[in-house]
Amino acid sequence: MNATISGEYHGKAGPLFSLYFKTAFLTLITLGIYRFWAKTRIRKYIWSATSGDGDSFEYTGTGLEKLLGFLFAIVVLAIYLGIVQMALFYFGLNLFTEPRNDIEALAQVGAIYITLLAVLPLLLFAAYRARRYKTARTRWRGLRFGMDNGAWGYVWRALGHGLLTLITLGILLPRQTFWLEKYMTDRMWYGDAKFEQSGRWQSLYPGLKHVLFAVLLIGIGTALGISAESPFLVIGSAFVGYIWLIVGGVYYRIYAFNVMTRAKVLDGAVTFDSGARTGRVVWIVLTGIAAIIGATIVGVLVMGLVLMASLGLSFGSVASVFGDAGPGDFDPSGGILGGILVAVLYVALILALGGLSLVMITQRIIGHVVSSVVVGNAPHLEQVRQRAADPGADAEGFADALDIGGAI
Amino acid sequence: MEQTARYFDGETGLRLDVDLALDPAAQVLTLRHPDLPQGVQHWPMDALRALADQARSDQLVLTLRADHSYDSGLIETARLTVFDAQMIRDITRLCPDLRRRDVAKGTAQKVLTRLGLAVGALAVMIFVILPAMAGTMALIIPIEREVAWGKSMVRQMERFMGGDEAGTLICSSPAGDAALEKLTDRLTGTTGVAYDLNISVMNHEMVNAFAAPGGQIVLVRGLIEAAVTPEAVGAVLAHEIAHVENRDSTRGALRAAGSAGLLGLVLGDFAGGTVAVAMAEWMLNSSYTREAEAEADLYALTMLDNAGVTTRGFADFFDSLSDIESIMPDLPTYMSSHPETAARADAARDFAATQGATEPLLNDVEFKALKAICD
Repeated sequence: MNATISGEYHGKAGPLFSLYFKTAFLTLITLGIYRFWAKTRIRKYIWSATSGDGDSFEYTGTGLEKLLGFLFAIVVLAIYLGIVQMALFYFGLNLFTEPRNDIEALAQVGAIYITLLAVLPLLLFAAYRARRYKTARTRWRGLRFGMDNGAWGYVWRALGHGLLTLITLGILLPRQTFWLEKYMTDRMWYGDAKFEQSGRWQSLYPGLKHVLFAVLLIGIGTALGISAESPFLVIGSAFVGYIWLIVGGVYYRIYAFNVMTRAKVLDGAVTFDSGARTGRVVWIVLTGIAAIIGATIVGVLVMGLVLMASLGLSFGSVASVFGDAGPGDFDPSGGILGGILVAVLYVALILALGGLSLVMITQRIIGHVVSSVVVGNAPHLEQVRQRAADPGADAEGFADALDIGGAI
Repeated sequence: MEQTARYFDGETGLRLDVDLALDPAAQVLTLRHPDLPQGVQHWPMDALRALADQARSDQLVLTLRADHSYDSGLIETARLTVFDAQMIRDITRLCPDLRRRDVAKGTAQKVLTRLGLAVGALAVMIFVILPAMAGTMALIIPIEREVAWGKSMVRQMERFMGGDEAGTLICSSPAGDAALEKLTDRLTGTTGVAYDLNISVMNHEMVNAFAAPGGQIVLVRGLIEAAVTPEAVGAVLAHEIAHVENRDSTRGALRAAGSAGLLGLVLGDFAGGTVAVAMAEWMLNSSYTREAEAEADLYALTMLDNAGVTTRGFADFFDSLSDIESIMPDLPTYMSSHPETAARADAARDFAATQGATEPLLNDVEFKALKAICD
């Protein structure tokens, strides 16, 4: 066995696109019920495309258990949300009436945040449960991964760290990132081997440098622009700074991922390395967006042509009514047929755009990140043994019901 | 047909490169390796299962059907990855159940139980708990809040009808206002009303009237124009006063607030979800206001009678309404928030037959002034 194992990704655009298109169509015609199976099948594809040392990962989740988990979550959420929402409404903090003065407007903004705040613990709870479920349904070399129960501990830690980050205007963001990731990593298992997150949260600070540049750029540019009375300078620096801020955010996430992956240890012996690059991810996102825009333009053009062709037919028929050919040639079915065709094309375009986003952005980023991970001291993995199955009664039902987590 | 394949026993992370032999006569796939218990394993071909939706077409991951499993699928934990193209073809050809998904016994019952529980919980919430809570809250909500809320609802309605700024659609003329006040006083003089009524006329062709929380009542111009007698206007007003007194719109809005989130939860995740939620909410609202409507009708008839006003005007008005409705495409009854107009007209006519002496609500001059309030 090799001393180190490099992550490999074997997924291809074509097969995943057609899998997405097929399952999204089934989701559409079953009024959303198939979405549990759709998500399962796409995960199976992506997991099986990922491998280390030639051994593929495996996703063992099922659509059925997701449906059952969703039904379970509905019962809990029905009671919680129904009562919370009406209580908030009653106390006059409702979102439906129109504010008559500034104080009322302010109270309503407050009410929106309180409503969000009432759902926020549930969102965090759902996020942890979903990660635990995904981990428990992942296998490599036949051995299960797993995660200990700890969703509520995660909820109050996430709330506390989030508040601290908010109060300090983001200065303590690395602390939040580190401790929340450590909380989850320290509860993760591969077989009977435990993961551990070592390292210091302060080591994430260099990752914020581009965010700092962007903030300084906006601040200084605005100040200079105002003192020089140059709106061009203000708008220009704000625009460049905003773009830089977005890229800086991506840079921070990737920097934190690399640093924290390097500080992970499995079973006190197996080490990890990661060299994901911001430039590559930004390139993937930009080309992905270009592909989506291109496909949208082509799709709209095709729809336009179809509509023109069918209307042209109708125009021709209408002209023939007034012309020499006589009313016998009139055929209104052309326009109807064209309309149906355009509607079908429209639905196909929407599904195709979702598929393109998955294939051109999500899958390529996963591919890049997986290929950038290296496992050290790999022979130790042979000593790992199987762990018991996690029945996970609610699967990721809460995340499904609250609609978080996206496609995979 | 002899090849090597990767084998993981599902208990350790140890990889074994086993020798593989397919024996169609004995219907088994034989795995041989010195480290296997007894050096050999026989996998029955009809129990072979391949993992689904795999990204790699150059390999086939096999496992065995299990009779019982704590995992989500009914399969064993051992895995066998075959790389040889010929072997993959042979296994695919000779094993008929390779792609089968085995489902544990009792799964259907489990799904139905959970489905029943979920539907039940939602139904109890929407049809029992939320209405009960809304009913209680509507009674204890402070009156100032109800009034403020009702006023903002009236403003929303005005904007919906096309009034960009507050008050632009509200009609007022000295004689019209006086007539409206007289009409209101006649009705409420004999039947006490707990709320300070704030009655306004909105300049729009729609034949409608509505009551918002806190005594806010709006008569729309189209309705006053359609009325043949002052008693018809009085009847509609009495009906809306009944809604105010019964706090119907307060209760309805509270309940809608609670059920909106719930319905969004269940239906929200697929294309067109928002429309489905809006539809479902509308149906829900209609179904419970119908009872309230019938109650308000009864209250209105009594109020008219107490004031010595004939309820015949009510009947006439419903007759003209059903004329309008017959032009429109037929709406199913459960979709309309009012009881069927013909039935309501009959009820009002029957009631009128039992009434004693009555007096007109307004004289001709006053009624003309009311009709011209928006001019």
